[in-house]
Amino acid sequence: MEITEGVPPVINLTEVAEREKEEFEKKVSELIIEFGAENLLACMQCGACASICPLARVGFEWYNKKLIKAILIGMKEELLDDPTPWACVACNRCTEICPRQVAPFEVMFAMRRLMVEEFAIPTLAIEGLRSLYEHGHAVYMTGREARKKVGLPEKPPTTDSDEKALQDLRTILKNTKLAELGLIPME
Amino acid sequence: MISETVKEEKKLKFGLFLGCNISFNRPDVEQAMRKIFPALGVEIDDLVGQSCCPTWGTMPSIDIVGWCAVAARNLALGEEKGIDLMTACNSCYGSLNEARHKMLKNPEIMSKVNEILAKIGKKYEGRAKCRHVAWVLYKDVGLEKIKESIKYSLDGITVAVQPGCHFLWPSEVYPDKEEDPFNPKVLRELCKALGAEAPYYTKLIDCCGMGALRSTDPEKSFILVREKLECIKEEIDADLIVTTCSSCLIQLDDAQEKLRKEGKINFSIPVLHYVQLLAICMGFDPQQVAGICVTPRDEIIKRVLEGGKR
Repeated sequence: MEITEGVPPVINLTEVAEREKEEFEKKVSELIIEFGAENLLACMQCGACASICPLARVGFEWYNKKLIKAILIGMKEELLDDPTPWACVACNRCTEICPRQVAPFEVMFAMRRLMVEEFAIPTLAIEGLRSLYEHGHAVYMTGREARKKVGLPEKPPTTDSDEKALQDLRTILKNTKLAELGLIPME
Repeated sequence: MISETVKEEKKLKFGLFLGCNISFNRPDVEQAMRKIFPALGVEIDDLVGQSCCPTWGTMPSIDIVGWCAVAARNLALGEEKGIDLMTACNSCYGSLNEARHKMLKNPEIMSKVNEILAKIGKKYEGRAKCRHVAWVLYKDVGLEKIKESIKYSLDGITVAVQPGCHFLWPSEVYPDKEEDPFNPKVLRELCKALGAEAPYYTKLIDCCGMGALRSTDPEKSFILVREKLECIKEEIDADLIVTTCSSCLIQLDDAQEKLRKEGKINFSIPVLHYVQLLAICMGFDPQQVAGICVTPRDEIIKRVLEGGKR
């Protein structure tokens, strides 16, 4: 290669770092939008959602308003180990009260979906999914004393007593992202 | 010429969507519905083959299309028969209606869902929805018919109502809406129709702390339920808590006993789902329609049956 005159261009490391950081930031918020929080960017951090959130009330770290802020400034790793999104009761007080139609509930659940991609999923959630696949019920009990006690047949008229319906449900689940992620065994 | 003065009432018929908790934990709620609705002229279809709605910690946490696909199979069971679903579980009410709302709003989701449903020979067009039993009782059956149907009334009894989160929010997705979703009236009206007092209290719309919060952090969950119970005791000294949600029912009934054992509260307030209370007032066997609880109910049931005979 021919050497030209003058000083070779210096790579500005600060600029590169800034640019990479910007790209990373874009990625987190874009993922959250892609996973269902379409109106994420409308948030103006007014705090109406936090004022009414049961999680904020009892002291969870990353309640709705704060989670949105963290996503908007590109935090990700710090959030992956936090249980807050999995404690969300999906009550949707935040969605009802938000003056900008952000639907903070959707942000919470988009965060869950992002965490699932990174396999940051609680054991209890895995158990619920496994039970859904095996029995068609996330909450399932083998004991039927309660049903008998109140004079009902042992099996409810659900997938619990309908093998074809259970197979149908399994076919559906096998054709969703649950199967792609391989979170539970699906024979 | 025949003049038709009396228009024949359209027969009410719904698919009874049970959900997991009512099927296995609280089947007395199921039995209560199986008793009251036929007696009130509402036909029930079993929706054989229904599954979990799916609840929040499962498919809604994984993927929107997967969530909607499971919900759509359940909704399609009603749609095939030309009927809506009805449920006594707020979580089912929330998950099914949120999923339906997403499918109706976004044709791309709807078409992906139907591609999946095609694999089991089903389809969902968005017609069937899930109604809440409390709304069916309030709007379709009506307060007058409820008043006429009861054999025992709740005169002199004060109830604390607990509508529960998914009875109210997000109001956009629900087929029936309170005039003011932060000041709900329907459950209070339903209780008053049975003769009870159902006063406002300041934590009436507060969360009971059930669901994901309780499974993630029971200590924090108990903060909410304790505050709620103390508020009910101090402000209105209720004889009974009445809810329209199976999750609130389990939490308020179950956690109350734990709080008593830990010495954190020193009172006991029985808890019933509204359909159970109505079934008792209509004269059905309390053992069948309200036989499963942790916090004792015998006294209040006895009071209703002995004192409230009409």
